[in-house]
Amino acid sequence: MIFGRRLILLATPRQIGVLDWRPGHMHWLGEFQASAEGLAAFRQIVVKHAHLAMLLVADTVDEDYRSEILPHVQGRARDELLTRKLKQVFRNARFTGAWRQAREAIGRRDDRYLLAALTDADWLTPWLSVLHREQVPLSGITPLAMACQQLLSKLKLQEPHILLACRLNSSLRLSYYHNGLLRFSRLIGSDTPTQQPGNAADEIAKTQLYLAGQRILPREARLHVVLIDPTGQLDGAQAPLNADPAFSTRLIDMPSLARALRIPDDFLAATPEVAPLAAIAGEAMQLNLAPPELLQRHTEFRWQRGLHAATAGIALLGLSITATYWLHAQDLNDQTHQLAQQQQQFDSRHQTIARSFSAQTAAPEQLAQTVALARQLDSRQPDTNALLSAIGQAMRITPEITLESIRWTDEPLGPAGEARVELDAALSPFDGNYRAAMQRIEGFMQALRAVPSIHAVNLSRSPVNADSSGTLTGKTFGADTAEAPAAHFSISLLYREARP
Amino acid sequence: MKHPPFAVLKLPLLLMLASMLLAVGGALWSRGQAQDAALALQQQHSALNGARQQLDRSRQQQQLIATHLADYQALAKRGFVGPEDRLAWIEAAQHANRDAALYGLDYRLTPRTPSPSALAQGLPLGQTAMTLTLPLLVETDLPHFLAALKARAPGVFHVHGCRLSRLSDAPFDAANPPRLEAVCELLWFTLAEKPGTGS
Repeated sequence: MIFGRRLILLATPRQIGVLDWRPGHMHWLGEFQASAEGLAAFRQIVVKHAHLAMLLVADTVDEDYRSEILPHVQGRARDELLTRKLKQVFRNARFTGAWRQAREAIGRRDDRYLLAALTDADWLTPWLSVLHREQVPLSGITPLAMACQQLLSKLKLQEPHILLACRLNSSLRLSYYHNGLLRFSRLIGSDTPTQQPGNAADEIAKTQLYLAGQRILPREARLHVVLIDPTGQLDGAQAPLNADPAFSTRLIDMPSLARALRIPDDFLAATPEVAPLAAIAGEAMQLNLAPPELLQRHTEFRWQRGLHAATAGIALLGLSITATYWLHAQDLNDQTHQLAQQQQQFDSRHQTIARSFSAQTAAPEQLAQTVALARQLDSRQPDTNALLSAIGQAMRITPEITLESIRWTDEPLGPAGEARVELDAALSPFDGNYRAAMQRIEGFMQALRAVPSIHAVNLSRSPVNADSSGTLTGKTFGADTAEAPAAHFSISLLYREARP
Repeated sequence: MKHPPFAVLKLPLLLMLASMLLAVGGALWSRGQAQDAALALQQQHSALNGARQQLDRSRQQQQLIATHLADYQALAKRGFVGPEDRLAWIEAAQHANRDAALYGLDYRLTPRTPSPSALAQGLPLGQTAMTLTLPLLVETDLPHFLAALKARAPGVFHVHGCRLSRLSDAPFDAANPPRLEAVCELLWFTLAEKPGTGS
């Protein structure tokens, strides 16, 4: 994973160590002495890893820290303010930096800064020259005390006033952290006799006095001293410090440190200096002492890396979209293919069935319709015998009625078994008494209505028209009249066959 | 450095541009493929539905043929389907007259006309009116004649109407000549044969 990988360089005036780090993995590439051979070997390592970002951690006695309260400004004003302040405090020091640690909770709510500088960094120049020559993307230069701050964070130490005494490369570094933030640090070189337990405890006590004197550490504060020493030389300092009520001490052993940093015990035991490097490797840099000109290559590197990441992201996104659409298209094509096969099966079955139609002269629907129509036409006929019998029934009851003619019509579109019937009949003998004749005709009509299959019986033509709107003429007969006239009339009715 | 270092970013920018073009091109191409496939699937769905309906229709037609073919063929043989056969109708009337032991009859056939659409139901149904005038001895001779004609009818006919009237008022005598006259209008139906339209 190239994006997370980087080289962490631990530079001291005597040597430089190189840690190849990536998340979850690290590899100690070795230490190189500040000599021509060491520089050449270092250069080879750098050339081999020139594509990786590098962070330089400086461990030197020539460093200075200053806490400052500055007005809260932002942007370009802050940059200019800090530049002026750094020049004012550290004069011509090339490697300076400011870290805005917190904002005051009261008053003007000013910002609290930690200003730091490497006051003498000539020893650093050869190493930086190699990095510059090989155009290495140097991400920054930070003091070892900042790496130790991350170490405390990994150890999850919560005390407000912590003095970390860390012995690395035969030197003792004492760093003071207030609420986990670096306030002061000093390195006691290997020429100072700190090997004796009492000497280390003295140095810590002196530092406590200095911090209190500078009002960096409140006088009443109890200092929590954390001892880290792979060689075990600081173990003896714990007892005298614990005897002093101003201190409380805690010794961090190597297994606990390895566990906190999630690195193997044996790896940490072999190269204890990787502890602060491993702690700071994956963290954002808070205090950068490198001048901008040294960071130019890293700026380019970051842009390139960002663009490469964007390119990869775009390519991945495009590939994902393309693949999604393509897979969807394949899925649809498969469905289409399956449907086409189904259609072929349907067509094949249809062809098989349709082949049997070729001998027919009519369409199947017409064929069925023709048969149904023929049945309909056949079944509509009323039974003539039954029709005549029904009328004969009424005739038998009224023998004085003589039937002259009978007409019936049966429309093909009418209801089945139904016929419209017209009867022309005469009342014989007729004595000229129309009133009596009408009563007899009415009797005949009642007889017709009594037949179940006969409906809607109406007198369509009366023997006499007594309507006031017409002219009525006639003749009456005497009692001795030889030839009796007939009273003719017509009746319409509806014959409907009784259905079983 | 406030501005991006464009000088050293030419290649990454070109790569990003190429990646962008490829991504957009690939996405558009594959989207087009998916749209084409969706359209093809939709068309195939329609085609499949059409084929399914065609198959269902052909099955229904097959069922119709299986159910009605024999009846249809019988109707065709009977003369209901096809051109009208007036001579057969006249012969049938004559034979029915003889079967009913009647006294002869007069007939009259009018030109064939298309049947009302409500009756024809879309079929090429035509009707020919045949007016029969026949003397009868008694009323029941008419049903006998019509039944005989029905039995001999070379086709489908419908008795549209009859008029049964008395010729004289003489009392019934079996030895006397007929006293009744029947005038009946029959409609002979024929169906013009149409070429098969079965698929």
